[in-house]
Amino acid sequence: MKRLFFACLAVLAWASVGHAEGPLQDILQEHRALIEKPSRKTISPAIDDIANSGLDQAQRMLQAWEARNLWQREEDGLFFVGKAQGQELTLTDVDTGEEIQTEKSAADQLKPNAGVRRLISSALVQFQLSDPNETRRLEALESIARRPEESHLAPLQASIEGEENRAIRARKERLVKLLSIAFADTPEAQIEAIEGVSGDLNLEVRAALNPLLATTRKVSDVIPAGENVAHVMRLGEDISRDEAYAALVEAGYATKRLTPTAIKDILAANIVDGQVGGVPVANLDTPEARDEAYRALAAAGTVPPFVSAEEVDEKLRTHVIYDAYNEPNGDVTKAAQSALKAIDLNVGLNQAADLGLDALSLASIYFLAAIGLAITFGVMGVINMAHGEFIMMGAYTGYVVQQVIPNHTLSLVVALPLAFVITFAAGVAMERLVIRKLYHRPLETLLATFGISIALQQLAKNIFGTQARPLTAPGWLDGAWVLNDVVSISYIRIAIFVLALCFLFLFLFIMKKTRLGLETRAVTQNPRMASSMGINPDKVNMLTFGLGSGIAGIAGVAIGLFAKVTSELGNDYIVQSFMTVVVGGVGNIWGTLAGAAMIGTLQKGIEWLNPSNTLAAQTFMIIFIIIFIQFRPRGIVALKGRAAGD
Amino acid sequence: MSTLLEVSGVSVSFDGFKAINNLSFQIGKAELRAVIGPNGAGKTTFMDIITGKTKPDEGRVIWGDRSISLLGMSEAKIAQEGVCRKFQKPTVFEDQSVRDNLMMALKRGRSVWDVLKYRPGADNARLEQLADEIGLLSEFSRPSGELSHGQKQWLEIGMLLAQDPQLLLVDEPAAGMTPAEREHTTNLLVEAAKTRAVVVVEHDMEFIRRLNCKVTVLHEGSVLAEGSLDHVTSNQEVIDVYLGR
Amino acid sequence: MGKSFLKNHPTMLVFLALLALFTLAITIFSEAYGSGLVSTSFVKTLGKTLCLCLVAIAMDVIWGYAGILSLGHFAFFGLGGYMIGMWLMYERTKEVVLRSLENQTIPPTETEISDAIATQIFGVVGSSDFPLIWSFAHSLTLQLILVVAVPGILALVFGWLAFRSRVTGVYLSILTQAMTLALALYLFQNDSGLRGNNGLSGLQNLPHVTAPQSEISMWFLWASATALGFGYVFFTMMLSGKFGMVVKGIRDNEQRVRFLGYEVEHYKLFLFTVTAIVAAVAGALYYPQAGIINPAEIMPIASIYLAVWVAIGGRGRLYGAVIGAAFVSLLSTWFTGGQAPDIPLGFYTISWVDWWQVLLGVSFVLVTLYAPKGIGGLFDLLKRKEVQK
Repeated sequence: MKRLFFACLAVLAWASVGHAEGPLQDILQEHRALIEKPSRKTISPAIDDIANSGLDQAQRMLQAWEARNLWQREEDGLFFVGKAQGQELTLTDVDTGEEIQTEKSAADQLKPNAGVRRLISSALVQFQLSDPNETRRLEALESIARRPEESHLAPLQASIEGEENRAIRARKERLVKLLSIAFADTPEAQIEAIEGVSGDLNLEVRAALNPLLATTRKVSDVIPAGENVAHVMRLGEDISRDEAYAALVEAGYATKRLTPTAIKDILAANIVDGQVGGVPVANLDTPEARDEAYRALAAAGTVPPFVSAEEVDEKLRTHVIYDAYNEPNGDVTKAAQSALKAIDLNVGLNQAADLGLDALSLASIYFLAAIGLAITFGVMGVINMAHGEFIMMGAYTGYVVQQVIPNHTLSLVVALPLAFVITFAAGVAMERLVIRKLYHRPLETLLATFGISIALQQLAKNIFGTQARPLTAPGWLDGAWVLNDVVSISYIRIAIFVLALCFLFLFLFIMKKTRLGLETRAVTQNPRMASSMGINPDKVNMLTFGLGSGIAGIAGVAIGLFAKVTSELGNDYIVQSFMTVVVGGVGNIWGTLAGAAMIGTLQKGIEWLNPSNTLAAQTFMIIFIIIFIQFRPRGIVALKGRAAGD
Repeated sequence: MSTLLEVSGVSVSFDGFKAINNLSFQIGKAELRAVIGPNGAGKTTFMDIITGKTKPDEGRVIWGDRSISLLGMSEAKIAQEGVCRKFQKPTVFEDQSVRDNLMMALKRGRSVWDVLKYRPGADNARLEQLADEIGLLSEFSRPSGELSHGQKQWLEIGMLLAQDPQLLLVDEPAAGMTPAEREHTTNLLVEAAKTRAVVVVEHDMEFIRRLNCKVTVLHEGSVLAEGSLDHVTSNQEVIDVYLGR
Repeated sequence: MGKSFLKNHPTMLVFLALLALFTLAITIFSEAYGSGLVSTSFVKTLGKTLCLCLVAIAMDVIWGYAGILSLGHFAFFGLGGYMIGMWLMYERTKEVVLRSLENQTIPPTETEISDAIATQIFGVVGSSDFPLIWSFAHSLTLQLILVVAVPGILALVFGWLAFRSRVTGVYLSILTQAMTLALALYLFQNDSGLRGNNGLSGLQNLPHVTAPQSEISMWFLWASATALGFGYVFFTMMLSGKFGMVVKGIRDNEQRVRFLGYEVEHYKLFLFTVTAIVAAVAGALYYPQAGIINPAEIMPIASIYLAVWVAIGGRGRLYGAVIGAAFVSLLSTWFTGGQAPDIPLGFYTISWVDWWQVLLGVSFVLVTLYAPKGIGGLFDLLKRKEVQK
């Protein structure tokens, strides 16, 4: 009964007074003075009370405040969420959400400055972090990860307990770790956090650790106590004399030294009767004479004093130049350093793995380019200098098909066999018309196929022009397979690797299991015997040559997917292809594989040593191969003895 | 009779196949020797090892009075030492004249510099004499490619003589010859063996019988028997090898 | 050179006479010293052609006589050009720099001059220091020694490696091609010290010479003709004796020559190096007439063209190489220079600038297939007819 009475009283009082009352409004009223005139330094208690009130409506109110939508009614000083429209103003009660229409002039808009708004926004983070909507929570986490701030740490830590989504929870824990590295209260906590991420490959970790190790270059006569020194500069090793002196000058420890050009200009401005400081102008063609003249001028006081080399030495001897960490605590920087070192080691290992993948994909490209050649050169002993042009023909076939069939996947499906057919036909024609007449004259074959290569290249130029034509890979080959922040490999390279594997098995199948393979091997070993057994060597040679050329065509489509399709495409691969076959060992597919692996690895390895310069990498690779052939003239997989045919 | 060439304990294998297996062989300074053996017995490889074309895996090849090792020397160096080889197929330089072929073979300085300052015509008399010996004086200036098969054989023998070797390795000299030519060849070889060592590799038993010399039988890369032709042909193992078991 | 030597080589006499006649005729009709019928630019083309003939002779010796299809001789040619180009460019730039510094009130120091030259030369590759390899560029004598020494040593080292391991035939061709590619790629780098793909330029201006280009071009024509004449006589003498026999023997049957007691590798190495040096000398005469050299000039394709010339002219005879080089290179200039009239077919116009390469490639195949002796083979036919009469 009593309770009912009070309830009635309360309702009556509320209605009669006509001003809102509620838990949030009470808090606001409590801090009324602070909220009316907020400043970044003083507002914190108010925001903390609101945020920690545990009231659901606090979030809405804070958002409104941050967005400058909080209004204070003049008559009673109560706070409302407001929305102005012309002269009309809609006020919403912060607790109940009840709306009141009023004149705009009846209330004041609160306009917190940027500093205050940042505090509000940090306070809001805890609401977002516990928002029932998972997307909102993730968004909040991402925004923290992008711009971590000290104030995020506490709410983040607080929000972990209530987190039910396991992935988000892990993410939160990780962010806490990262934030602790920079913002933990005590150095011990920082160090613990740092040690926790040691060896982690993630870029975020490195981004968190690096600021701890930021340094500032400082100059002094003695290093002050308490300075967390990273490195003391040694003259001539870490820093040149000129740079060191310039640093001294900048720090105000020394007077600026004039550059030779400046001295020259001053001398030119002080010529009196064909002399400068007593030195005839004609004699001023050595640095010594110029110094002498300038010294004379300086002694006379007409120009700034001369700083001699000895003075520079003296200044440099009595001063020390060093890099100091911005972070004063030496233990923290040490921990960060060792963590980064562990990370660097790990990154190095992973880079090696990444390099291995790169080398593998380059090797498969060389293998693809060389396998056709391994057949024509290795199995038949025929040099085909137009092999590169067959690769080019394949690539252009892919391009033309793509002009007709716009669907990239479908066009690729059509282009691969079509390229095979076209280059197969070209190979067969070339074998019949030219190469057949030149068997046992290998140098002449080389020359004649050169002629064909020249003609084909120019023909391609006449038909397709000199500019590069695009051969676009289908969408599903875009992107890369990412293992971690260091190791990744694009799908197109994986596809090429798979294609190379397919060709390896196809070749093995044809050579070991089919009639053509059997006959080819027979003709290779003893053409006369083979023909006496009813094998037609001409036909076998023709088909083998066609096969080698056809594979070059398919390789061309594959290569065209990632390289520019130009008439000179073949040029880029012909020497490497020959090298692959020769280094691997002629007449053996495993040799070609080994050769491709070696050349691919070698090229990537050299590129890694000198990443800026792929030209140098190719140069050194070729030199290496020339030397390699000294030691294994028959290649990696060598046929020995009389079978090698000498 | 002092030893000119001593091959001892030589082995060589190609991809696991033992072409020569612990082979030992000796020949004196003026001796004619026939080497026989079935196909694949290692006769050609044996010659390849002596002339430096093939390097053995183990063993020694000792040469001459100074007992130097031929292993590790280049083919050219070995040839300069006086080991000379005639191939089964006549190989003369077909684009060049009989005279030029003989001039190249003539025993003179072999270095680039010696050859560059060599004055053609200095040895004309000797060359004409050689051509006369092999009956090709009338063809002196003809390109050797225009010669008949027999004439090429003579030219090659003339080239061997021009080199004045101490050891002559002759691979199947009788192959593709008429009986008269064989007769002539036999005489030439016997004559040559009076002043130098001659090793003849041959299949033809009849031809070897006419040479009338010591015979070495090779089988599976090592010496199976050695002695006069009658001695080795009565050896049961040799019969087994030749006639098949 | 004895009387019998001259008598035994009538083609050499004919060649020398024709060469002298040609040089005289050009002089008489030149702008500088004669009627002006032959333009200076054409004199340059002819002078360059003579140099190409010289390198073709070297190629013929190594390929036609010794059977080594080298795809690296144009690289030696280019290296010779680079070596002389370094001196020309240095001296010329120095001249220009000194002239520009003349007007300054204070005379320049040595360092200032050399810095100014370096900035002038290497500014395009973003450097202002002289690389180490330019240490001798100030001296014509030293740089002339380098013209011979650098390609010579490169050929010696490469040849030693290649021949020692008995790399022959097509393998050797591929290896020389790889060497050429490596060299070209190296020179393409900006930090190679030779201005990357900009190459060396302005080589047509002789330092300290005020004569007009018309006269300079004639001087070079004379020098090129002299060099070609000397080269021709030099190789004729070298190959006419026993040396020539051994070399041809190596070409036809290397193994047999070896069993005769000749160190085949030494002969090959000697020829490879000598021809490389001759090629370099030809290049050193060619590029001052061309005015510019860059790494693209020595890509393997250039060496392949060299082989094409020799093959079309007829290998195994020196005059064949000269005919091939002169004929094909002049024809190339004519066709690709746009002077040849296009052939309108109605539906398509054959423009020779585009189709000359195709024609060249196809005719090369045809020559290899049906006329292995090349144009030189025609002389054999004529000779035979004469004999039959």
